[in-house]
Amino acid sequence: MATPGQLMFARRLGPTARLLIWLLVGVSCVVVDARYRALDDLRSGFSLLLQPAREILRVPSDIAAELGGFFARHRLLQKERDALLAERARLLVSVNAAKELVRENAELRTLLQLQTRPGQQAVQAALLYQGHDWFAQRITLDLGGGGGLRSGLPVVDATGLVGQVSRVYPGSSEVALVSSPDQLTPVFVERTGQRGLAAGSGHGQMELRYMPAQTDIRAGDRLLTSGIDRVYPAGIPVARVSRVSRSQSSPYLRVECLPLAGLDRSRVVLVLIAEPQVTTR
Amino acid sequence: MNMPTQALGSWRRILGSLTLAVLLEQLPWSGWALALRPDFVLVGVLFWTLHQPARIGFGAAFFLGLLADFQDGAVFGQHAIAYVTGVYLVLFLRMRLLQFDPFRQAAQLFPILLTVQLAVLLIGWLAVNPPASLAMLLPVLSSTVLWCLIALFVRLWHGKGLQDRA
Repeated sequence: MATPGQLMFARRLGPTARLLIWLLVGVSCVVVDARYRALDDLRSGFSLLLQPAREILRVPSDIAAELGGFFARHRLLQKERDALLAERARLLVSVNAAKELVRENAELRTLLQLQTRPGQQAVQAALLYQGHDWFAQRITLDLGGGGGLRSGLPVVDATGLVGQVSRVYPGSSEVALVSSPDQLTPVFVERTGQRGLAAGSGHGQMELRYMPAQTDIRAGDRLLTSGIDRVYPAGIPVARVSRVSRSQSSPYLRVECLPLAGLDRSRVVLVLIAEPQVTTR
Repeated sequence: MNMPTQALGSWRRILGSLTLAVLLEQLPWSGWALALRPDFVLVGVLFWTLHQPARIGFGAAFFLGLLADFQDGAVFGQHAIAYVTGVYLVLFLRMRLLQFDPFRQAAQLFPILLTVQLAVLLIGWLAVNPPASLAMLLPVLSSTVLWCLIALFVRLWHGKGLQDRA
């Protein structure tokens, strides 16, 4: 049984001792990461490691989507084209009106000697991976620091605000969705102009916080970004109020909202990169 | 019942299956599939801890846990601590687990997987913020089913019929 040179009563650490050691290491990891944000390099390393795998594994679903698109019915395409042409005509009209307004606005701003607002530049990015975290809802985009992204930029899709870039890696980036529990968005009610703070409440919903009980707000109201935080440009649709209820115990209304952007449907999103502040004077 | 553990599991097989598990989690899951996705990596780690405790143990579990933390964008250490706890429980119950046929083994694994997920929940709660819902316990069920399937497969692979009660 025992070969020469082998210790007969060699003891390794027992499982309990090893568990305790690893738990200690784990707890220090949690503290270092959550408190001091010191492990971001490790995250970048993992992202470089997993990026190629994710890009390759995205291919099957892309091919499926391509095939689905290829076999779309001709009639359906025609209908869609007609609808798009009609919408384009309508949009062209409003673009003209908007141009006129921009010109007028610029004149008024010069009259009032206000600073011009920073311009926006939109960069397209595709969904790379959807995280499975229950404490904050995040998605991963296939564009990172190389594409000019930095932490804090707003992300939108065709229908509304998706979220905010929270972490940037060399070739990918993480976006915290507006419905994520720790995500706050300054908004105003489109109908009344009342300003407020929308917070994610998890499972794909949001709530409007700190609305006094006599506020004029009802189901169906749209919430737009107010732009007072200088992070989000003003006027991006965020959510629609789904239910307003009064609680006995709190002085505030309980306002539930549903995000307008396709948080779990959009495959392509736009990241708004603000140009550096232009100071004309 | 110890017989197949010798034939099973060269390094190539262990690393291959764990890599496959990591890759499976990189697929762009979404919607219900994401909510129900079994934790492939955890099942892989616990399986090899059960059958090859000398090769796969605390260290591998911790590293793969950090990887899981990265891919969920969670705080580092959350899954790592949970996986290490799971490995400990499997080592603790190892002799007993090896006696059972796949179905009973899966039934014994259920509380272990549940404990692991509860550890994830607890650490996330303490370190980040309260969880949105208890839907995070759903993968425990699917992981248990996955374990059962793997155990059945391994058993058939090694030429033992379903009728054979070990």
